[in-house]
Amino acid sequence: MRTWRSNRRTFLAVCLLIAIGLIVSSRLGLLRPIESIAASPLNFISGIFNRITLAVSGSVGDLADIETLRARNADLEEALIQFQGELVELREVASDYQRLAELLDYTSIATNQEQITANVIANADPNNLLRTIVIDRGARDGIAVGMPVVTKQGLLGRILNVTANAARVLLITDPTSSISGRLQTTRAEGTVIGQLSGDLNMTFIPLSASVQEGDLVITSGLGGNLPPDIVIGQITSRRQFEFELYQEAVVRSLNNFDTLEIVLVITNFQPVDLSVFENPADTGATP
Amino acid sequence: MGAFLSIPILALAAVLQVTVVPQFSILGGRPDLVFLLTITWALNSSLDEGVIWAFAGGILKDLLSAAPTGTSVVGLVILVFIITFIRQQIYRVNIISLVWITLLGSVLYQLTTLVILLLTGFQPAFLNRLGIDPLASALTYVILPTIVYNLALVFPIYRLVRWIQKRVGREKPFFS
Repeated sequence: MRTWRSNRRTFLAVCLLIAIGLIVSSRLGLLRPIESIAASPLNFISGIFNRITLAVSGSVGDLADIETLRARNADLEEALIQFQGELVELREVASDYQRLAELLDYTSIATNQEQITANVIANADPNNLLRTIVIDRGARDGIAVGMPVVTKQGLLGRILNVTANAARVLLITDPTSSISGRLQTTRAEGTVIGQLSGDLNMTFIPLSASVQEGDLVITSGLGGNLPPDIVIGQITSRRQFEFELYQEAVVRSLNNFDTLEIVLVITNFQPVDLSVFENPADTGATP
Repeated sequence: MGAFLSIPILALAAVLQVTVVPQFSILGGRPDLVFLLTITWALNSSLDEGVIWAFAGGILKDLLSAAPTGTSVVGLVILVFIITFIRQQIYRVNIISLVWITLLGSVLYQLTTLVILLLTGFQPAFLNRLGIDPLASALTYVILPTIVYNLALVFPIYRLVRWIQKRVGREKPFFS
């Protein structure tokens, strides 16, 4: 008996129509409840596999690096002695700052941050063109879209979407990620954009700004999407093109995105919605 | 039987893809286990069964991805149809045909996925004005390293798939 599948073109067209229907439904969010339920067992198994993988790769790495670690330990001990003197000096400065801040009734955002610890259950996106990870905390733990995700080494990204017990983080290395950054030394501002190479590109840095290799880049807080003063990475090189009105720099994050185990989600930061200012006509304001 | 095996095998592959495989990443490229399993299964199965593997593999992969569900299905379904057509033109699958199918299949699959991601807003088309070309960047950092990895892994995966297929046995098409 001939069926519609006997005609290969019809069969292919039907298959593609179903696939396109899935994409459109998923993009519109119509499949979210089904996706959330279907992804739960996969996320659970991923969590187990990820713990085993990181434990094994950590042990293998430790054995291979033992000599390097010994040499590095000696260097760090030497550096520690040097920094202890500096630390005492900085504590004095911090104490002065605290007193002055109290006088001005100014509270640092960093000291007021509320954070939730989360385990990474998927270290990468199965689609090689995207840079995301999955963590084992979700809406039930108070995680919401837009919350910043960090480690002690600095900024990782922002929450992209949330299910009941898991959340996906859009890493700062994803090509669609764009963050307002600032050079810690000169306070020059720019935009930090993710790249598929794993590096970050800091662009729109004013030509007058001095950019040095090794300079730390921190979040500026501009745009209201992220709190200020979170470390993004370190400048590794700079580029300045003729006839351009700005300069660029390559930034390397201090995080190793392939071996993330535990991350922190800043839960009390509320992203500011600036879209209301984008079209004055909508607000009834006159130009 | 082969159609029913697709879900556990491809689910395991998708989980390995997000946990173990990133440890072997070069630049942004990684072997694509779901892609390799689907094309090698399609090389020695009916079209119906190949299509089921393409849908199962694509959906399972997309469930673990930020991409909309169905993104990976399009490329895999097209590849299964092309493989079925090629299979009818060649006497038997040999090393050369396996290399060509993996090479051209990887390029076609990755480009299809890139186009869908561009259309759905998951790739930064607007950044072109900043001198970042998404296609050039994807080719250099993702597509080329992925092809190299896929070529290296296609032979062991093909042998594994053949071993499973021989044990399962060739059955009449799933739909009939």
